[in-house]
Amino acid sequence: MSEPITLQITEILGTGLCVASEDGQKVYEQIATALRDGQKIRLSFLNVESLTSAFLNAAVGQLYGQFSEEQIRQQLSVTQIEPDDLALLKRVIDTAKLYFSDPDHFEVVKQEVLGSSDEE
Amino acid sequence: MPSKTFSLPKIGSNYQGFVNLIGLAEQFAELSYTRLDIDMRSATWFEANMCASLGAILYKSSRNLNTIRFVNIPDRVGQILAKNGFLSNYGFTRLRDTWSTTIQYTRFEQKDDRYFGSYIERHFKSKAIPKMSDPLRKKFWESIFEIFSNAVLHSETKLGIFACGQFFPRKNRLDFSIADLGIGIQKNLLKKRGLHLPPDQAINWAMEGRNTTKTGAIPGGLGLKLLREFIRLNKGHIQIVSNQGYWEQMPDGTVVMKTFSFPFPGTVVNIEINTADTNAYRLSSETDPEDIF
Repeated sequence: MSEPITLQITEILGTGLCVASEDGQKVYEQIATALRDGQKIRLSFLNVESLTSAFLNAAVGQLYGQFSEEQIRQQLSVTQIEPDDLALLKRVIDTAKLYFSDPDHFEVVKQEVLGSSDEE
Repeated sequence: MPSKTFSLPKIGSNYQGFVNLIGLAEQFAELSYTRLDIDMRSATWFEANMCASLGAILYKSSRNLNTIRFVNIPDRVGQILAKNGFLSNYGFTRLRDTWSTTIQYTRFEQKDDRYFGSYIERHFKSKAIPKMSDPLRKKFWESIFEIFSNAVLHSETKLGIFACGQFFPRKNRLDFSIADLGIGIQKNLLKKRGLHLPPDQAINWAMEGRNTTKTGAIPGGLGLKLLREFIRLNKGHIQIVSNQGYWEQMPDGTVVMKTFSFPFPGTVVNIEINTADTNAYRLSSETDPEDIF
């Protein structure tokens, strides 16, 4: 596999305001294309000013619906990311893994909620 | 054009304030081609952030070709609502916000994410409002964006998203509100998950664990929980109104749930943050960038 390419989020968006799901989609499309091409990617968060879970769900979270965890781990890395942004990214990834791996998740939640309201 | 007069009492950022606004919405529901005179004589107090909710109700009514007119506005209330730009939508002159403590009343379309971003930047780079630590400001901005994104992703509104806020420097308090005219949490939950819950329980469901009504290729279920965690650590306050449900998290973290007799025509999220808070906000400091995927 060739040397990793760097995808800088602010370069893709033209802003450090990484808050909209639609903007996350633009980043996702670049990452997904490179992953399909077998390319290693370094995702740079340099100069990112504000970050939301909505943006990261679209940019990174949805990768887990299209690619295996193994492929993502092998080909994608992050760089120049602030510690609290990294922590947010980690939560988004954990949530995405759960979202895509557990189709019965919501059924379980539903039962729990209905069960508790029945007791009242 | 026929006209009708409606009296608006005091509007606080609380359950009773919403009861009063919903009462107004309910009276407007069946009207069209009517001049609606809102008599503010009894509204001796109106919390500025509640303009987002009132604005949403009035916007919906104006879509039925009603005309809104405010009358007998007490001076103090009139000044607040003229400074934050609310009354300029109804023929009044906008007053200069000398101390830069208002976050202007604005209506956004669903596609206005970036415009919303510049709105937030514009207001929080002003002189008075940034009396917050840098970590708090960053966390606060992100919380506001999370609320806006939530409205964009879930409300299905065609009528827009309404925002407004007010800073109280002496009380170290900042109130901010985002209202939409979408389908609301209860109906969304029924539509997306087939789950029928009472309206207050539906809001509580959306605030818990990893619950999300999100379906499709992009996962969800974090925004409101991050907001809730931050506000609890900040010892701030959240109120959520959606359809007939009311959900409130108090500064000590306890939750109060109630219902209304009639529905609000969408969802409102009100937050109040403690701007004197000097905590550093890190979700976690132990995440390894080499082992994140």
